[in-house]
Amino acid sequence: MAKKFVAVILSAMMVMSCIAACSSDDKDSDSGDSAGSGDAIQDLIDSTDGTVKLTVWASEEDQELTKTLIDGFKAEYPDVSFDITVEACSESTAKDTVLTDISAAADVFAFADDQINELVRAGALLEVTDSYTFNVSEENLAGSVEAATVDGKLYAYPMTADNGYFLYYDSNVYSESDVESLDAMMAAAAADGSKIGMCVSDAWYLYSFFKGAGFDLGLADDGVTNTCNWNEEGGTDVAQAIIDLCTSGTFVNAGDDAGIMTGVNDGVYSAVVSGMWNAQAIEAAYGDGYAATKLPTFTLNGEQVQMSSFSGYKLIGVNAMSAQAGWATLLAEYLTNEQSQVTRFETRGLGPSNINASASDAVQSNPAIAALAAQAAYATPQRVGGNYWAPAASLGSILAAGNPDNTALQTLLDECVAGIEAAVI
Amino acid sequence: MTLKKTPNNTSRGHFGYFRDLIAAFKNGDKYVRLSSVAMGTGYIARKQVIKGILVFLVQILFILSMIFFAAPNFAKFGTLGTVEYAYEKVGLNTRINNYDNSFLILLNSIVAIFIIFVFILFWIHNMKAVYELQVRKEHGRPINNFKQDLRSLIEGNFHLTLLTLPTLGVILINILPILILIAIAFTNYGGLEHTPPTHLFTWTWRVKNASGEVVGKVWDNFSTFFSNKNSNFNYAFWRIAGWTLLWAFLATFTCFIGGILLAKLINSDGIKFRRVWRTLFIITIAVPQFVSLILVRNFFRDSGIFNTICSDIGLTKLLYNMHLIPTPDTIPFLTNPKWTKFMIVMINIWVGVPYQMLIATGVLMNIPQSQVESARLDGANNFQIFVHIIMPYFLVVQGPALITDFVRNINNFNVIYLLTQDIYQTHDLKMAAANAKEPDLLVTWLFRLTNENASYNIASVIGIIVFIACATFTLISFAIMMRGNKEEDYR
Amino acid sequence: MEKRRHISVVIKHILLAVLALIWLIPIIWLIVTSFKLDTGISVSKFFPEKWSAHNFVDLFKDTKYTTDGIMKYKIWFKNTFIIAVFTCLISTTFVLMVSYALSFCRFKGRRFIMNISMILNMFPGVLSMVVIYFLMKALDLTQSHIGMIIVYSAGSGLGYLIVKGYMDTISTSIREAAIIDGCSEAGIFFRVVLPLCKPIIVYQVISSFLMPWGDFVFAKLILGTNSSKWTLAIGLYNMLDKSRLNAHFTHFCAGGLLVSIPISILFLIMQKYYVEGITSGSSKE
Repeated sequence: MAKKFVAVILSAMMVMSCIAACSSDDKDSDSGDSAGSGDAIQDLIDSTDGTVKLTVWASEEDQELTKTLIDGFKAEYPDVSFDITVEACSESTAKDTVLTDISAAADVFAFADDQINELVRAGALLEVTDSYTFNVSEENLAGSVEAATVDGKLYAYPMTADNGYFLYYDSNVYSESDVESLDAMMAAAAADGSKIGMCVSDAWYLYSFFKGAGFDLGLADDGVTNTCNWNEEGGTDVAQAIIDLCTSGTFVNAGDDAGIMTGVNDGVYSAVVSGMWNAQAIEAAYGDGYAATKLPTFTLNGEQVQMSSFSGYKLIGVNAMSAQAGWATLLAEYLTNEQSQVTRFETRGLGPSNINASASDAVQSNPAIAALAAQAAYATPQRVGGNYWAPAASLGSILAAGNPDNTALQTLLDECVAGIEAAVI
Repeated sequence: MTLKKTPNNTSRGHFGYFRDLIAAFKNGDKYVRLSSVAMGTGYIARKQVIKGILVFLVQILFILSMIFFAAPNFAKFGTLGTVEYAYEKVGLNTRINNYDNSFLILLNSIVAIFIIFVFILFWIHNMKAVYELQVRKEHGRPINNFKQDLRSLIEGNFHLTLLTLPTLGVILINILPILILIAIAFTNYGGLEHTPPTHLFTWTWRVKNASGEVVGKVWDNFSTFFSNKNSNFNYAFWRIAGWTLLWAFLATFTCFIGGILLAKLINSDGIKFRRVWRTLFIITIAVPQFVSLILVRNFFRDSGIFNTICSDIGLTKLLYNMHLIPTPDTIPFLTNPKWTKFMIVMINIWVGVPYQMLIATGVLMNIPQSQVESARLDGANNFQIFVHIIMPYFLVVQGPALITDFVRNINNFNVIYLLTQDIYQTHDLKMAAANAKEPDLLVTWLFRLTNENASYNIASVIGIIVFIACATFTLISFAIMMRGNKEEDYR
Repeated sequence: MEKRRHISVVIKHILLAVLALIWLIPIIWLIVTSFKLDTGISVSKFFPEKWSAHNFVDLFKDTKYTTDGIMKYKIWFKNTFIIAVFTCLISTTFVLMVSYALSFCRFKGRRFIMNISMILNMFPGVLSMVVIYFLMKALDLTQSHIGMIIVYSAGSGLGYLIVKGYMDTISTSIREAAIIDGCSEAGIFFRVVLPLCKPIIVYQVISSFLMPWGDFVFAKLILGTNSSKWTLAIGLYNMLDKSRLNAHFTHFCAGGLLVSIPISILFLIMQKYYVEGITSGSSKE
């Protein structure tokens, strides 16, 4: 009676499983066997037949720019037919999207440099063993090359050198001496009736207080777990200083980037801690008062302490599972070469990592880039493992909320450090 | 037309199932016995040629799938693969080795096991069927030809026709994933270094430490939650499980009561334009949840419009003076743990009450008015009538729906995720270390673990626990509620 | 006495009005914000200072946003519509088939199937999401609308409860009469039972049609990063990514409002049958 039922199930399962079996078989993706000698690019062109299909992930804001650059890339190799798709994937979350399924990720993708350790350990990045169109490690700023290097091996191509934060302010409210210290700024803001915004509850920004006060956070030798000494003597003073700032009423935790921009647009924040990506929007909001500089100092035990920051870079990587690794490599090089970086600065205002491009007058005279450069003296490269973010963000939001449960600050710091240093599962 | 109403004869039970099979072997003739090796011979011998060929084809398909699909995967099933992904540079291009993909090995093996299981059922059934044919022939009873067999599919066997495709769908989308999920809970799949295709994963009992000794145990993933008292996962798990239950109770109960009260209010004497009022409330649930909830999330932001309004009318100051909020200028609606939990329940009322109101309106119409009238004559007031007559009636009628709602709320992903994602930061540092947040339900925590941490094995464990808990709860409560309740009685 | 009654009616109306206002405030906010001139989210004003319809125009006009993949509203609408139509067809068919089989046919294992499906129905899709993704990938159905339709509709047979509850109220005598007339089981299904189930079919059609419009979790995972394949829900959700909130909040509101209008209408039609379906089971007691 039930046999037809079973029979149909069975045959359908088999068809299904055959499909599953077949689709798992195509693993070899080598094309051509050209040796390293001679002109590698010419060999690649010669060994390529048919259309080269590539996918590129760039942030939504960079879509148009990336498409323009790709047209330039295609023009470089007129004899090869390309089918290059550009899709949107934010640089700040590229890691999550790539790691969901590396084999389905783009051949070439942009990401922020703090993700490189995890991407490399997951085996998602193709190592950069040779340069073909320009010397990647010599033509880019040393810091950016270092940011693209893991265990002494280069894994990505530096694209921008501006992924850090500094102070934007309205020069109609603050004088140049005001912006030296948060105390002076808060006095000026109070007089103006406006506020100063910073994402204190965001781990990326919270770092600036502790590092400024001389506390350390870094990667352990295994490359994924963190070491952190915020809970050592004096740490509670920093925590108290943050609470004092945030409960003052003039220095406000903006929560996230959207909070920053909402406050700026609505005229609530006359100064904010933010980065290059908001430069154009903030300039539009502050108008002729638009100005930027390094971060101010804050008061710790009656002394002025300079706030530190993370210095970050944006990189372009090639997928280790790309079926067109050769062309993906060339495209990644093209998207990060000097000319492309100049174009990127001109259209999007993003600071180049290329030495020549960043030395140009146009770049040097940009106020936001100048502020970033001034902050660079106090900035440290962003080398932290994935377990830093959630505990530090929690600490930040507790401190920003004025420590509502009145937990002992030492306990808070101890628990936070325990979370930051926890082993990676 | 054969209208055979087979009674649910449970006394035949499981023994009958195998007794028939044994009988088939004992008493079957050579064709029946041959059918156990070459399936279909039993049919062909009774002149059911087409059916016999079809069954035989299924058997060949099965054998082929075993050889070409199951065998290669089973060979690696014990280790889940040994060859790790690697590439070598050839000029500009890369040559990728013939690597093992642990996930595909696991997936294919489970599909293969499932096929074998189904095939065994099919084989047993086949044996019984050919034996029955033999018996029929011996007794001179008629044997269906192929046309009659087909015809039975729209008559006595119509349920097979109806259920086949939906069952296949359920197998693909529900059953296989659950089986695979259970298997994953016993592997070290997840994290950066055990995620295919670039890396391998293996069974927990094969996990080795740096010096190559086997250190894993079968229940390693489960003990993360239960035995290891100090781990952050253990800490977060119990806290989240507790809140999940509390939330499910609050969410179900508030919406249930709220819906009845609202329906009563709209239906009470003297209210004009009932339909209009009802429609006004329904509009809010007709907007897709991801739109309305994201909107509400931004409405209640720390630096949002509602905070501005509150501070303009002095509410913020008032709450601050009452020590209900820690900072003088913002009400942390969706950023403080206590406020967030409170707001989530309130917003859920906003989402859920109109639904419940709709249902309650329907149920209210069926309330036996005679009871209400006689209670009123006895001098009961409105409140007493509500508590003693209306509520019990609702509980009886809505009982099963309440259970389903409760379970649905345990897994209410949308409300929690959409209201807290990107905006809520946990204030509990031990939870933060387990990537959890106070208002998280087990499902949202699980989602975050897979999406942001790629901790697939840990997430599978949570999934299995939630599933078992929900299934047990439902089965028990339905069993209690449905005692002696036969659906046939209604007809 | 009459006066007191009058007052209580007035109070009830006021109470209702206040409640309705609370329920509608977010919707009103959605509507007014979608007509706001500047694109950010406003902190200080409930109503926009300058009104404009440009947000709606942006959704449909080919602008810079369209090429950036932030606002392919037309494409998303079309995608969602296609997926919804097929999901609706398959789901409704499946549900009706299962409901009839479980409500009218008596066969061995019926109870077992009902119990199993009740348990399986307890299993939320989010839990097995990643596995379903890789299963779909093994079938080469990721980044495809067919895969999406399968994910939405294949398991729909489990959601038979309401429809079966409705069918249970149909008297078996109608069926027996048809059998005496020589009608086959299939004939009863198509010619006797289905016509009687019209209201619940309407409910089933609309509710399964609405499903793809609200899901963003599965859609995001299966359809991936290619914004031309997205459904409306992912597209709108994506507009509110942290970094884009200020540039696209009003676009989100406009898009959300536009999709809400047809959905609300369908929903209002559906709710009548929904109540009928739910309470038909309870009226038996």
